[in-house]
Amino acid sequence: MEAETRKKISYLLIVFIIVIIVVIASVVYYSLMEMRSPAKKMAEISAKYGIANYEKRKLPKNIISDSTFLSLFKEDAYLQSRVLMAETDSVYLTINLSERVINIEISGVVVHSTPITEFEASKLITDGDKFTITSLLSVPLTIVSDTSSIAKVPFIMKIAPKDTSEFKPDAIPDTAFYEPVNYIFETDRGIKIIVYQSEEIKQGDSKDRFMFDLRHRLINTLAAMKDIIEFKVPEYQPFIKIKIPSADAKIIYRAIPKHGQIAVYL
Amino acid sequence: MEKEIDKNEVTQPEEDLNPGIDRTLNDNKNNGPEINSTNTSGMKQKGSSNFLRYLLIVFISLLTFVLLIVFVLYLVPGLQEISSVSKSKISGNNELKRDAAYKNQIGLLSKDIQRLSRKYNTFTSGQSYIVINTTDNKFSLYKNKVLVREGICSSGANKILQTKKKTYLFMTPKGKFSITGKRKHPYWHRSDWDFIEQGLPVPPKDDPSRWEEGVLGDYALDLVDGYMIHGTIYKRLMGMPVTHGCVRLLDEDLEVVFSTLNIGSKVFIF
Repeated sequence: MEAETRKKISYLLIVFIIVIIVVIASVVYYSLMEMRSPAKKMAEISAKYGIANYEKRKLPKNIISDSTFLSLFKEDAYLQSRVLMAETDSVYLTINLSERVINIEISGVVVHSTPITEFEASKLITDGDKFTITSLLSVPLTIVSDTSSIAKVPFIMKIAPKDTSEFKPDAIPDTAFYEPVNYIFETDRGIKIIVYQSEEIKQGDSKDRFMFDLRHRLINTLAAMKDIIEFKVPEYQPFIKIKIPSADAKIIYRAIPKHGQIAVYL
Repeated sequence: MEKEIDKNEVTQPEEDLNPGIDRTLNDNKNNGPEINSTNTSGMKQKGSSNFLRYLLIVFISLLTFVLLIVFVLYLVPGLQEISSVSKSKISGNNELKRDAAYKNQIGLLSKDIQRLSRKYNTFTSGQSYIVINTTDNKFSLYKNKVLVREGICSSGANKILQTKKKTYLFMTPKGKFSITGKRKHPYWHRSDWDFIEQGLPVPPKDDPSRWEEGVLGDYALDLVDGYMIHGTIYKRLMGMPVTHGCVRLLDEDLEVVFSTLNIGSKVFIF
């Protein structure tokens, strides 16, 4: 009986050790694949927007690391983006990380301005090849999808009354209604613009932000796992994380169209 | 059935009475409580230590699981950033600056920046314009790029009115618009939805009951598709999203807006 129990325990121990080894190996493999993804993304961006695409301009050697050239190139790229967007009648966004300001613009007119309280960007954006990244941003980013803690348009549904007896006047909107504002814009060139409200207006705002962030991380991790299972290097999404006041964050989210455009100045 | 089985079990030892066995049984009976208490306390000790062991295993497993999740969700993205890409070098090479091709490129870029800046500035005309913020229900009036007045307004309620045949959406459109018409003491031609919303029968288009005086205030500035900037009789609702898509202003604000904006003036709504 005792021998049988011991046999059972040793069998369980072996299973346990195997499980531990498999889990550790999976985590190590996952981590290695994830760490390879930024370099893969940079290579993709370089192939599309790197110096090789400017052969016609016959740029001299080393020019792409020259500070004067890069600063002018950056200015030019930002202006190009803004002019392209200003030619439409739509609402668009300009994010100037250098001056720490976000503007809502319509046809070249700044209609709303917000100071950036805090920001953080992927190393790929801040430390990557400046020429390539600037070239990538010379055309406005177009929003392809978004995830938000608030509704884009807070619609109210009403069924038409059959006659005057059924008629009920509309309720007065609750202007004191508050909800935390956090959202993510996913753009066509794979860059994510993550906007969080900077202040804690009500108790639980931090928890809401944490949960929003956690959900975002979970979705990313699951997508990466799917790629890794297929032995593919997962898709890396460079990000710009911005913290701005809640009221401004709400205005921006509601103002920008579903497939609106964004220009970024680094 | 159960009772019968119990009876058999109890009666059986009595039928096979054997003095030897009986003594042993009696001895056991005498020693019984001592042996039982030692066994029970041992068992209890063993049980509690087993329970603690299981608890520890569960705790360690849970902790490992949580740590793994934290590692995957937070540390791996962090490591990703560290490993990301090598920092690009920026220099101010003097030799390069003397290169004719370099100078040419800098010249081309500078010219392009000037051209784009000029183009961009043409978008911002010196004309008067109004900016309407539909989220905060506020307006700002500009003359020669200078803010001349700001205040509260009321914009679309974002209401969907559903009838059996049609769905109406009451929201203020966003983007760039122009003033297409200006009217003093405007009359309001009530749309079908106004009757439907109140449960009233919809009259013909030219019915006199469609015309209403005074509800639009003293002035109306036409935009597109029937949208207007006008006054209101519902002043307590100002600053709230309550309209059917038009922009309502207070009387004094409306007067200034009416006198500042001309036909063709831009209206920026966001």
